[in-house]
Amino acid sequence: MATVTDAGVELDGVSVDFGDVSALNDVSITVEHGEFFTLVGPSGCGKTTTLRAIAGFESPTEGTVAIDGEDVTGRPPEDRNVGVVFQNYALFPHMNVRENVAYGLRFRDPPGGVSRRERVDELLELVDMAGLGERDPTELSGGQQQRIALARALAPGPEVLLLDEPLSALDVRLRERLRVTLREIQQSLDITTVYVTHDQEEALAISDRVAVVADGEIEQVGSPEQIYRSPASRFVAEFVGDNNVFEAAVDGSDPPRVSIDDQTVPLAAASKVTPGERVTLSIRPEDISFDERDVAITATVEQVEFLGDAYRVHCEWGEMPILVKTTHDEIPRETTTIWFDAPDVHVVGRSVTE
Amino acid sequence: MRERAERFAVPLGLVTTVSVLIVVFYYPVGNVFADAVSSDGRPTLAPILDVLTDPFYTGIAHHIFTDPLGVPAGIIQWFLAVELSPSGLDLPPTSIGLFGFTAYQAALSTVASVALGLPGAYLLSRYEFPGRHTIRSLTILPFVLPGIMVAVGFLAMFGRNGLFNDVLAVVGLGPVEALFTLEIVVVAHAFYNAPLVTRLVTTAWESVDRRQVETARSMGATPFRAFRDVVVPQLLPSLLTASLLTFVFTFMTFPIVLALGGLQLATVEVWLYARVQNLELTEAAALGTIETVISLGLTYLYLRYEARQVATGRAGPSLARRQLVDGVRSLRDPRRLAIAAYGVVVLVVFVGPLLSMVVESVTGPGGEFTFEYYRFLLAQQTSSAIGTTRPLPAIVNSLLFGVGTLVLALPMGIVVAVVANRDVTGSRGAEAVLSAPLAVSGIVVGLGLLQTLVFGTVLFDYRITVLGPSAIVFAHAVAAYPFVTRNVAPALGGLDPRLVDAARSLGASRFRSLLDVELPLVASGVVAGAAFAFAISVGEFDSTVLLAEGVDSYTMPVALERYIGNRSLGPSLGAATAMGTVLLGVTAGSFVVIDRVGGRWQP
Repeated sequence: MATVTDAGVELDGVSVDFGDVSALNDVSITVEHGEFFTLVGPSGCGKTTTLRAIAGFESPTEGTVAIDGEDVTGRPPEDRNVGVVFQNYALFPHMNVRENVAYGLRFRDPPGGVSRRERVDELLELVDMAGLGERDPTELSGGQQQRIALARALAPGPEVLLLDEPLSALDVRLRERLRVTLREIQQSLDITTVYVTHDQEEALAISDRVAVVADGEIEQVGSPEQIYRSPASRFVAEFVGDNNVFEAAVDGSDPPRVSIDDQTVPLAAASKVTPGERVTLSIRPEDISFDERDVAITATVEQVEFLGDAYRVHCEWGEMPILVKTTHDEIPRETTTIWFDAPDVHVVGRSVTE
Repeated sequence: MRERAERFAVPLGLVTTVSVLIVVFYYPVGNVFADAVSSDGRPTLAPILDVLTDPFYTGIAHHIFTDPLGVPAGIIQWFLAVELSPSGLDLPPTSIGLFGFTAYQAALSTVASVALGLPGAYLLSRYEFPGRHTIRSLTILPFVLPGIMVAVGFLAMFGRNGLFNDVLAVVGLGPVEALFTLEIVVVAHAFYNAPLVTRLVTTAWESVDRRQVETARSMGATPFRAFRDVVVPQLLPSLLTASLLTFVFTFMTFPIVLALGGLQLATVEVWLYARVQNLELTEAAALGTIETVISLGLTYLYLRYEARQVATGRAGPSLARRQLVDGVRSLRDPRRLAIAAYGVVVLVVFVGPLLSMVVESVTGPGGEFTFEYYRFLLAQQTSSAIGTTRPLPAIVNSLLFGVGTLVLALPMGIVVAVVANRDVTGSRGAEAVLSAPLAVSGIVVGLGLLQTLVFGTVLFDYRITVLGPSAIVFAHAVAAYPFVTRNVAPALGGLDPRLVDAARSLGASRFRSLLDVELPLVASGVVAGAAFAFAISVGEFDSTVLLAEGVDSYTMPVALERYIGNRSLGPSLGAATAMGTVLLGVTAGSFVVIDRVGGRWQP
């Protein structure tokens, strides 16, 4: 039974099936009031289905959805007081900008006791589109259409703002600019927001908290820093940011150490491993250095990419590819020693061998 | 309260639509079928067996039912009985029976339609000439023209004093007695169905990717081999679809044969009509049942086949079009000469009948120009030489029924379109619901309505009767609403589903989002569907002719049939051609609307 709290949005054990296919499996999420919460994952992972279950476009096969402490599981979308922004904007092509923004006010009174007209002006002002009210959506650029879609979703004063890949149809520069605007508007309104994206960088940049979704299940929920620095699973480690992931056999637990390519590598003292276990480890490319650190390994430099602010150096450690990211201007050639600190190696998965 | 009503509007609309269909289509038609398989409430196969074992209906094949052991020989004999010699065209070969003849004339009509339609597809898809677009859109026109009006056109064109014989006389030939022959019926069927062939094949031809042909050529294929290996396989499916449709249409043909062939060339549908008029209702019911089974089978085949055709979204460029007239030398090119000859045939078969009808309607008995026939249409006479069928009420009735059909068919068609777009189950169900009226003959629908709603039906001790005019509107709506759906459903399906999601998240109910967002965006589909519905109502003849007799509210097509059926008028078709011209005007008006808004016309 759902314990209904006062959270902005709460999913409790939600599953969604499409025929025989399970799109979501026992997902529980709590989004706090005013929080910017992002669902990130590869396409088809269930993040959009989660959003649609909150909006009421999909009905859960199991579990409950609560908005603002109220169970809304069986309610149609029109009775949920959510604002939704879609990837392709979904502006009504037969209505001009004002009519689009005003559409929700046909069914809900404008918040704050203002007239509809004033409310539309307010919103156009908010998204910096005042004066374009008489335009048709087709006369607007992609970025402008997205602003109007946001204004339309916000006009009736929804409890929750749901954004389904709202920036992915825009080019990179515009996307980066708009996400700052979006975050500013969200913070100024202090509105509970659920954001869906497949772009992990965007997720990290914009969110209070992030949930990584894979195969219809939540892999990890946490702040962007937690997600990036302490991935809870191999999937998270590989999906979020560049990473080096490899398998190793545990050599001993006190102090914890593994052996890779006939070399013993010490792990952070807090790592809980048992001898005989096989573990999956990850280490960020920027945590590997050509300068001296705790642990030294011998690697061969294969390829160097210049990124402007840094270099990506593709190395090989024995048979294993290993990626190093460095701002160091002098990249060694051929065989060299690379270094890292034991606490930067994370155990992201384990399996018992016989 | 209003919100509640809105929430249930779509389900309610569906329930209403299905209820209307049950009451005005499935129940009456089912009642006819029940007559064929039961007698005094007991099930029996006697009426159907009576038909199947009667050599009149099944010809030599009746042995299949009377002497099952002799079946193989019987079937071979049946096929051998079909003579393909020209002399065999003159009369219905009794050896193959009524069903055999009906199939035979349908097969001939299909061959004629393909022969007449294919060159048109070649011309439209491979040549560029002024008016190409217009001619391409005109291929929809025959579809909305009432059959009985086309029959009037053919009478005016190919009658003893018609334009055709006039032209032949100028070159010292003729006169040709074309009326009441199988040939004229087949040509009239081609008038209807050759444009169908042309249109479907042209579409397929235009979507052949030029680069495929160029690849074949670069690999060493001659132009002919490239055509045979690359183009033909892409045209065949559309040709087969068109042929199958033509066969179904001409198998169930009615007004053309009734007006141009008469009873000696009767097809199943015409004979069915004659049985009803003779009040041999059990035999009619059995005949209608067998006919429906056959046409349902053919329709099922068509749908199965069409479903297999994968719509390949093509981005490549079409084959380049040649200029039809490209300097003086091109006029001696044999291909272009053949096209010119084809143009003459098109003039005779397609333009001739319509033109003759219009000319005839303003030509007096002595060849002088006159508005007499149109004055007759507007005159409020109580009786005339033509009997009791007065023209003005027919015109008024047709228009009123057309409007009534719109009012009924538009919401029905839209509701089915909405349901069809919802999910797979919805679209399958809608497909079945839509196809059923297509496969049941208008005569059976009319007969069923007459026997049930019009004569009265007892429900819970209340006798329910429906007025004749409303029965006609019901029958028209059943025939028309699939066209609304066919035009609206694809447009709805093409809309981004997130538009509805957006509206609903903003507080609109499902019904409001339909009204506020979807319908305005598919307005052209709705208008096209409405134009089709109106045209079909105005031109509907099959069920109207039966219902009109029972309730004395005739329409323009029914009046037309009575005018041309009345030989006491002498050789002049004046009144009929005048009314036919009015009918042509009304249906051509619908066509213009359909063409402007880009309607989908396929059934």
